[in-house]
Amino acid sequence: MPKGSDPFLPLLAEVAEVRDLTPDIKLLRLSLREGRIDYRPGQFAILSAFGVGEAPFTFASLPEEGLEFAIRRMGTVTNALHNLGPGDLVGIRGPYGNTFPLEDYEGKDIIIIGGGIGIAPLRPLIHWFIKHRGDYGSLLIIYGARTPRDFAFSDEFDAWAGAGGARLELAIDPPGSPDWRGRVALVPAVVKELKPSPKNSIAITCGPPIMIHYVIEELRALGFSPGQIVTTLEAKMKCGMGKCMRCNVGDKYVCKDGPVFTADQISRLLEAF
Amino acid sequence: MKFISDKNLRKWLESLMGIGSLIAPMDLGPGLTLFSQIRDPGDVNLEYETTPIPPKDLFFPSSEALFRFSPSRGYEIPEIDGEAFLLGIRPCDALGIRLMDFPFLSEPADPRYERRRRRTTLIGLGCIKARPECFCTSFGIGPFDASNADAFLIPVKGGFLAEARTEKGAKALAAAELEEASIPIPKPPEVPSIDVGAVREVALSLFNSPYWERLADRCLSCKLCAYVCPSCYCFDIRDYPIRDGAERIRSWDSCQSPLFSRQASGYDPRQTKASRLRNRFYHKFSYFPGEFGAFGCTGCGRCVRYCPVNIDVREVLLAILRGEAKVA
Ligand SMILES: Cc1cc2nc3c(=O)[nH]c(=O)nc-3n(C[C@H](O)[C@H](O)[C@H](O)COP(=O)(O)OP(=O)(O)OC[C@H]3O[C@@H](n4cnc5c(N)ncnc54)[C@H](O)[C@@H]3O)c2cc1C
Ligand code: SF4
Ligand code: SF4
Repeated sequence: MPKGSDPFLPLLAEVAEVRDLTPDIKLLRLSLREGRIDYRPGQFAILSAFGVGEAPFTFASLPEEGLEFAIRRMGTVTNALHNLGPGDLVGIRGPYGNTFPLEDYEGKDIIIIGGGIGIAPLRPLIHWFIKHRGDYGSLLIIYGARTPRDFAFSDEFDAWAGAGGARLELAIDPPGSPDWRGRVALVPAVVKELKPSPKNSIAITCGPPIMIHYVIEELRALGFSPGQIVTTLEAKMKCGMGKCMRCNVGDKYVCKDGPVFTADQISRLLEAF
Repeated sequence: MKFISDKNLRKWLESLMGIGSLIAPMDLGPGLTLFSQIRDPGDVNLEYETTPIPPKDLFFPSSEALFRFSPSRGYEIPEIDGEAFLLGIRPCDALGIRLMDFPFLSEPADPRYERRRRRTTLIGLGCIKARPECFCTSFGIGPFDASNADAFLIPVKGGFLAEARTEKGAKALAAAELEEASIPIPKPPEVPSIDVGAVREVALSLFNSPYWERLADRCLSCKLCAYVCPSCYCFDIRDYPIRDGAERIRSWDSCQSPLFSRQASGYDPRQTKASRLRNRFYHKFSYFPGEFGAFGCTGCGRCVRYCPVNIDVREVLLAILRGEAKVA
């Protein structure tokens, strides 16, 4: 196999399992044909649908759980990936990007705030915090989706909420789902209502840019310092190695310096986000 | 300094062509000289002024297959082998290649670029005439600057003064019949200079200036500035289906393109032409120096010459340096 010195050659993987998570998000479980990929939560890989193209996706599982990606259908590559079945071939290169400094969060209360497909990078964190309950304080998970059918990983909700001292708050955007008993509110509004305490805590958020923007605003209003707020940024990417110049936000590369940033770092980025 | 007479030049080029491929400026039509693969040494034009397109494509082709892949045959990667001589490269373009070394050779190195770089000997050529757009002296080089070439030629009466700068360059010159030079080094032409030292710091304070809107008003987003620039290197990667597989192609791109940074969600951190044009200048004069310690411009003046609406990098630099960009 020519892999090794050529960072543009993806490793080959077979689709081991495909699962519908929502009407437009599928979980792809991959098994590498050869080689290995060591990664840490927060990092991402660039997946190939050969003949269609490449796109970046966060590792949605902890390394010991296998290679899983939650992929929302958006356009050409994601469509092609959605059309794959068990045994089909995918290319994968990575890992790229930085990681959540999970050790630094030890002893702190954790607030996880996700919206839509933004749950993908947060899922390995949730698994991590549940696995290492003793090392962290309380765990609050706020997760918003458009409709009840749009929650990914709903089969794991009991486990998320059931972990000692954990709390899961779900919210859908617009009203009009008669069977829904939970909240109908935008994610930033849920943050405002629940008023998590900034005292000795870390808030980690991921979702659409507009959601991140207002979540940061609400957290700031509650007294969270910009260093206590962590998010992942999205950007258009081609190479993943800081060469194609597509993902720079001011003088930072989302692919190398991110995708994990603190609100403090974001406030110093030259370009609006 | 050694001397290669006009008479010996042809023999030298022939012997270089016996070792590897020779790429040099060649007239392709009236007023059009481009770096091309030379088949007949008589085609080499060493009196050219800057070519419209810099010879960066010898290392970073405008379009190249990264690989072909098919499930049955696996990967096929185009070979890059043999030696090459890039003859007649101007100091600004040699600097351009050095600037591209920063992104392409930094970890993880781009293997295609690296291989092409390693196999190529750069034979520079001094400029005895400067174009009106030239301002290379702003970036620490000049018409006779040999520092980024393996060997360097200065045109003089009856031939060229020749100097080897590296082992590779010495090897290339060894194929020539050299005489001891008896002609003194001529005086290089005057090239105006802009004192760019402070541009990085000043630029940072002008990021939100309305100047960028005003400047971008007339920009066509045609991307010409990037394609003719020896130090621009944005690229795109795309797949094309082929029989029973895929070909993955990398090609030049530009941050001036309206869809360049647009994300799948529709969100774009650079939605306006002004923010894209600003990004071009900030990348060259702020981000690139921050990352690599050198400005991302060689002062070749090509973007000045070819921009259809006369957006002039020298004017932009002066506006930044004067803090003029602050005035609405
Ligand atoms: C670090 C990182 C991690 C990521 N992780 C994940 C993840 O875990 N899961 C996930 O699902 N996604 C993730 N993404 C996002 C994902 O990479 C993109 O959704 C993906 O690249 C889309 O690729 P595509 O080829 O399917 O879309 P494209 O074909 O590029 O199309 C994108 C969408 O834009 C529309 N569009 C394109 N041009 C126009 C136009 N001119 N006007 C109007 N609409 C237009 C298309 O119709 C389409 O809906 C991540 C991105 C980054 C940067
Ligand atoms: S060449 Fe001129 S008009 Fe074209 S994109 Fe560059 S600055 Fe804009
Ligand atoms: S920005 Fe303009 S002057 Fe500078 S290197 Fe590029 S083309 Fe030449």
